[in-house]
Amino acid sequence: MSDTDAANSMESELARLIHACAARDRHALRQLYDLVAGQMLASMLRILKRRALAEEALQDVFVSIWQRAAQFESARGSARIWLMAIARHRAIDVLRSERVDLYRQADVEQLPHAGMEGLGDWSSAGRSAAALARCFEELSGEQRRGIELAFVNGYSHADIARVTGEPLGTIKSWIRRGLASLRQCLER
Amino acid sequence: MKHDQPQLIDALASEYVLGTLRGAARRRFERWQNAEWHVASRVRTWEGRLIPLTLGLPPIAPSQEVWEKIEARIRNSDAPGIGTARRGAARPALRALAAVLLLCAIFAGGYVAWRMTESLHLQTVATIKGAQGPVAWSIELDARHKRLRAVALAGAVAQPGHSFELWALLPGKAAPVSLGLLPAAGQLERTLSVAQRAALASAAQVAVSLEPPGGSPTGAPTGPVLFVAALNKA
Repeated sequence: MSDTDAANSMESELARLIHACAARDRHALRQLYDLVAGQMLASMLRILKRRALAEEALQDVFVSIWQRAAQFESARGSARIWLMAIARHRAIDVLRSERVDLYRQADVEQLPHAGMEGLGDWSSAGRSAAALARCFEELSGEQRRGIELAFVNGYSHADIARVTGEPLGTIKSWIRRGLASLRQCLER
Repeated sequence: MKHDQPQLIDALASEYVLGTLRGAARRRFERWQNAEWHVASRVRTWEGRLIPLTLGLPPIAPSQEVWEKIEARIRNSDAPGIGTARRGAARPALRALAAVLLLCAIFAGGYVAWRMTESLHLQTVATIKGAQGPVAWSIELDARHKRLRAVALAGAVAQPGHSFELWALLPGKAAPVSLGLLPAAGQLERTLSVAQRAALASAAQVAVSLEPPGGSPTGAPTGPVLFVAALNKA
């Protein structure tokens, strides 16, 4: 089975399980949990730093999936992105309401790049994994790092300025230009 | 803030998804995306672009107790009567579930037979045509709005490299809801989702847009709207 076939089959399985949750099938929720909870926890922990906080937020995510499953429409986009977006929004909400020490985990240089290595096994709705990886690679190193720190670690502009030692205005410009380049590249 | 500029909306959506839009600006943007579908649609696009960045992180297995707590919270949210149930109270819950399942099974047989006869009767609810030209499609629904049939007629002219997509137009600023693709020839029949039925219940019009093959990639109309027609529900 090719990567694309595997990604499509994962997508349809996730969509099927979300629909089953909408029909109140708890076993389907457990299957979803087995498939994506580890990935969600990894991304939430990068933002929230404290495991207890991230695991509590993960509970909220699955209760939310159970309650909102009927709102998911597979025609409107990727099931995996829908699930991961719920996790991400919850982590950001908790980050905003808790006093999370962003620098507790490590010096920024010690944090591994999240990178695009996970892109090989999936593709988002309408955009191939290869296109995303290629466009991300086209960004300058600073733009890529700024976007990664903001998105993957949940850092604000000021946080990034602090850990990189660059002026705030420079950071805002890296990110603004990086996002614009990413958009242009993906829409080509 | 000028809210009608696509570039500005896109830039704000990208910073919102990235997480760098903070404080009052973030809350304002959240209210805005809840109110306007085209803003929400840009947010979904950016989620699709950026979320893959986190998929490369090695998964971390949650502690055993996370699932146990999720299960307990779901039990509580689904069954208020047994909401405070502790583990020892699982048996009455199972018995209640068995009773419900038995009742469902009894009704299911009758329901299926009833629905099968009902779905045979489809009524035309919309006739889609241009101002001058012949009718392009006839849209038919069953009495409970569960089955939709679209029949292509003389006015439906295939556009190579494109698909036709049917939308329910909702009142106010709500986003149009896709009712699926329309055939360029012949007919298509499909079962509608709960969301599509809800949309049809409040819609007064339907529209047809020209989309990339397979339909809109974003869940909102992306191409030109070719036709708008009144919806005459029985």
